[in-house]
Amino acid sequence: MLRDITLGQYFPGNSPVHRIDAMVKIILAVLYMTVIFIAKSFLAYGLVAAFTFFVIFLSTVPIRFVLRGLKPLLIFIVFTAVLNLFMTGGTVIWQWGFLRLTREGIIYASLMILRVVFLIMSTSLLTYTTSPIALTDGIERLLTPLGKIGFPTHELAMMMSIALRFIPTLLEETDKIMKAQMARGADFKTGSLIKRAKALIPLLVPLFISAFRRADELAVAMECRCYRGGKNRTRLHESKVGRIDFIALGILIVFSALVILSNKSG
Amino acid sequence: MIKTENLSFKYNNEQESLVLEDINLTIEKGEFVAIIGHNGSGKSTLVKHFNAILLPEGGTVYVKGIDTRDESRLYDIRQAVGMVFQNPDNQLVATIVEDDVAFAPENLGVAPSEIRKRVDRSLETVGMSEYTHHAPHLLSGGQKQRVAIAGILAMKPDCIVLDEPTAMLDPIGRREVIQTLLKLNSEEGITIVLVTHNMDEAVSAERVVVLSEGGVEMDGKPREIFCQVERLKALGLAVPQITELMYELSREGINVPCDILTVDEAYNALSQIENYNKGLKRS
Repeated sequence: MLRDITLGQYFPGNSPVHRIDAMVKIILAVLYMTVIFIAKSFLAYGLVAAFTFFVIFLSTVPIRFVLRGLKPLLIFIVFTAVLNLFMTGGTVIWQWGFLRLTREGIIYASLMILRVVFLIMSTSLLTYTTSPIALTDGIERLLTPLGKIGFPTHELAMMMSIALRFIPTLLEETDKIMKAQMARGADFKTGSLIKRAKALIPLLVPLFISAFRRADELAVAMECRCYRGGKNRTRLHESKVGRIDFIALGILIVFSALVILSNKSG
Repeated sequence: MIKTENLSFKYNNEQESLVLEDINLTIEKGEFVAIIGHNGSGKSTLVKHFNAILLPEGGTVYVKGIDTRDESRLYDIRQAVGMVFQNPDNQLVATIVEDDVAFAPENLGVAPSEIRKRVDRSLETVGMSEYTHHAPHLLSGGQKQRVAIAGILAMKPDCIVLDEPTAMLDPIGRREVIQTLLKLNSEEGITIVLVTHNMDEAVSAERVVVLSEGGVEMDGKPREIFCQVERLKALGLAVPQITELMYELSREGINVPCDILTVDEAYNALSQIENYNKGLKRS
């Protein structure tokens, strides 16, 4: 269950997509998502699909990895599709009781599915091709203007990267505590919902206590390594916006223009 | 390098007895010192004074001549004396080995090209170069601890203090870490202060300091310290396994020296007795 979450999983590589600067890549991803929301015709979605698969191909990330990200959200996708299918007014094609299928409903539902699928694919592609460190670094740089009015950008980015660092550690710990409690007769899998929720207490309490202890130790260890916030801090990987970033931006602008044009024609 | 003068400490005012009482200890540059003592003897509290994580209640601690109370020199002290802790998981901050090693020099504001050099060199010194781009959570305990040491080395410290660095490791991991420390001490001239529970590790040091009830109980070469088996046992401490064996043998009336710390020494001593006995039989 926990292994299906693809967010934050990095697929190392050296493709052009990997090499795009993290900050620029976040901006590009946001721009791309906006384009998905603008797209209204099937022709436009054809373009979006072609573009997405082109980027996946460039990134050298296996396509099944990208598709796996859809799995946990399948229920959500089906739910929105069904809602759109039956709740949209228009020309009625088929009716049974209060259920009414309209031409517009079918169109909306299928566009909605496409929209959600491409949104998820693009975000997972972003995290697949950008290391968590680069990603938080990108976010930090994006938020720099806010830092001028006293927003703690560095602290926020540091918190995010530490959270990412501790996900596997805490998962491992959860697993260990769960086994320890099961060895002493705890039952996490059967019983009513309330009973199962109650069974989680002996799991969560030790997990929280250990997380706090870890946090304390980590804070001391960071102090020992001269950590004093973002002031005068340098970076191992200097990130600069370069040629490849402008090329990527150019391609995305052309793509956006094409989508807008195809909206009109379709 | 590090000098404490009448150092006393307690964690809060309600506490009646002092955690550390009147400690006078000088650690010279280039030394390899092991600090041993039973649980609650104040080992960890003492070493936390060596880089101003804790400040003395009474007395003074000097690091390279700087009083640790001097806040303006805090980062000079922290840079000079690095610290490695017991749990490797709780001291690695980054998701990639090289980023973690770079953490300290980044904090110190070192130029990126210089950080690159230091990261590569530190990883090479601890023998972890091939894992530069790995995720720390996939490494073994000993490897993680070596990455943590590399992270401290990247600050270019004069001294590294390790607070039970091997307590959570398997025997292979232990050996890796101790070998690394010996190498750092002999090849790079870095002062090592090793807090440990494991007497066989304390033997690798050139000097052993025994703490008890917040005070220095014994201080000397491993051979001088571990020779005093009964005194150590009274303090609730063990001696290296081979020393224990020799001690038991001598109590049984076999004439072996007590200051034996390694298996080789024990072998030599025992074969001498054997030769002597053979000689007796022949005559």
